[in-house]
Amino acid sequence: MIDPEDPRPRILGVRFGVNPNSSSLGIDVTFLLFGGAAAVFSALVASVLLRGRTPVVLHGEDQEKP
Amino acid sequence: MKLRPEWNGALVALERPHALVSVNRAWARRLGVKDSPRWRGDDPGHLSAPTEVHLVVSKRCSAGCTSCYVDATPNGPALEARAARQAIDRLAALGVFHVALGGGEAMDLDYLFELAHYARSKGLVPNLTTAGLGLTVEQARACAVFGQINVSVDGVGEAYRRARGFDGYAHAVKALRALRASCKRVGINFVVSRSSFDELPRVVALARSLKLDEVELLRFKPAGRGTATFAQEDLTDEQARALFPLVRRLTFRHRVRLKLDCSFAPMVFWHRPSVALARFFGVVGCQGGNVLASVMPDGSLTGCSFGGPTEASIFDAAGVDRAVESGFQAFRGYAARAPDPCRSCEYLSLCNGGCRVVAAAKGDWWQPDPGCPRVVAFRPASRSVGAASP
Ligand SMILES: C[S@@+](CC[C@H](N)C(=O)[O-])C[C@H]1O[C@@H](n2cnc3c(N)ncnc32)[C@H](O)[C@@H]1O
Ligand code: SF4
Ligand code: SF4
Repeated sequence: MIDPEDPRPRILGVRFGVNPNSSSLGIDVTFLLFGGAAAVFSALVASVLLRGRTPVVLHGEDQEKP
Repeated sequence: MKLRPEWNGALVALERPHALVSVNRAWARRLGVKDSPRWRGDDPGHLSAPTEVHLVVSKRCSAGCTSCYVDATPNGPALEARAARQAIDRLAALGVFHVALGGGEAMDLDYLFELAHYARSKGLVPNLTTAGLGLTVEQARACAVFGQINVSVDGVGEAYRRARGFDGYAHAVKALRALRASCKRVGINFVVSRSSFDELPRVVALARSLKLDEVELLRFKPAGRGTATFAQEDLTDEQARALFPLVRRLTFRHRVRLKLDCSFAPMVFWHRPSVALARFFGVVGCQGGNVLASVMPDGSLTGCSFGGPTEASIFDAAGVDRAVESGFQAFRGYAARAPDPCRSCEYLSLCNGGCRVVAAAKGDWWQPDPGCPRVVAFRPASRSVGAASP
């Protein structure tokens, strides 16, 4: 179970690539083949990619903005 | 880089490399989100909006594939350019990240590239699937606007003709070469059916020889013209069990990334991968109306391109908001009412019971996917033959 207020910053998941298939969702099983080490490595890569960057925040136009 | 707050934190879409990263609230705060209305209350159990939407710009195509799930014809309906732009506006307002433009043959529409640039201008990554018939070098160059483009190849040489009903193999390969020369990410779509199953190694070898980025495997669906041939083309139980080990072998042999579509999740989970790992890498089953949704040429919004009820018109903003907030129960509602063996399956929260469209074609929308090896093993008649999970 996820504790949303866990004070430690965590990467919960990563999906690499895009889905060009115009009908259903493509699931990438490549990383599944490499086991737990692939998750640790991917979380590290994702942290490095996110660090120090400022994203455009999408709130949904009809939603209350914080 | 774009960020969309979600109940457990946020989804962050990166472009270089293309990735969708799910982070918790603490990470989201680090990225500048102080608070979000989506962080209040209980877990809604679904995303605030799909991450990707399939926009069926037309049901028009002259290829005439034997089993086309769209039932595309040369005079099929198409979205007007203005309406297609309006649909993109609505998806952008929802915070959708990717839009897959499809058909029919989207490449035949005179406004396709303009629409793809329009999607980019609204912050969406447009992607495309095409048969590649008659693709010119100029068109291939213009395809650089897409995040990724896949060409359908359901077999090599004569096997292509057997699968699709016309001899388009040489065209598809020519298109792939032209696209490889001008686009960043190019792949193949391969429909896995009972009769095409043995072709998979040859198609993956082709992808490697053309230096493509990936091969995406689609389960043959009982929709459109595929409904009539589904009984002959649905995978055998033996094939369903053999698929994931075959994918594993081909990935290592050819070093080509293989993706399976959502409807193949039960065939993956039969081999008992780690639940935590599958969750982390987004290896999930039926995501209709959650991660994924579709818009048809008449503007109707559905959970999946292959079936399910219309939830709203994409041109009705309030209706769309209602749908993403509390609709799509035909998909989202499965887990809560799942019968065995799904109910007792440790993968239920990921798999969501397999493909609803296949279940419906076999008689009951709400039954567990009849093609799931665990479901087959659970049936009384087959228990006596000693079917077991590996
Ligand atoms: C309907 S086509 C539209 C795009 C384009 N005209 C093409 O042929 O690639 C989109 C994808 O759906 C696949 N497809 C068609 N009929 C199908 C069926 N009955 N089940 C699963 N996939 C199917 C096609 O092979 C193609 O990869
Ligand atoms: S019904 Fe669900 S599993 Fe089947 S193709 Fe649609 S989204 Fe995927
Ligand atoms: S038993 Fe149900 S939930 Fe489990 S893998 Fe099969 S279809 Fe999915």
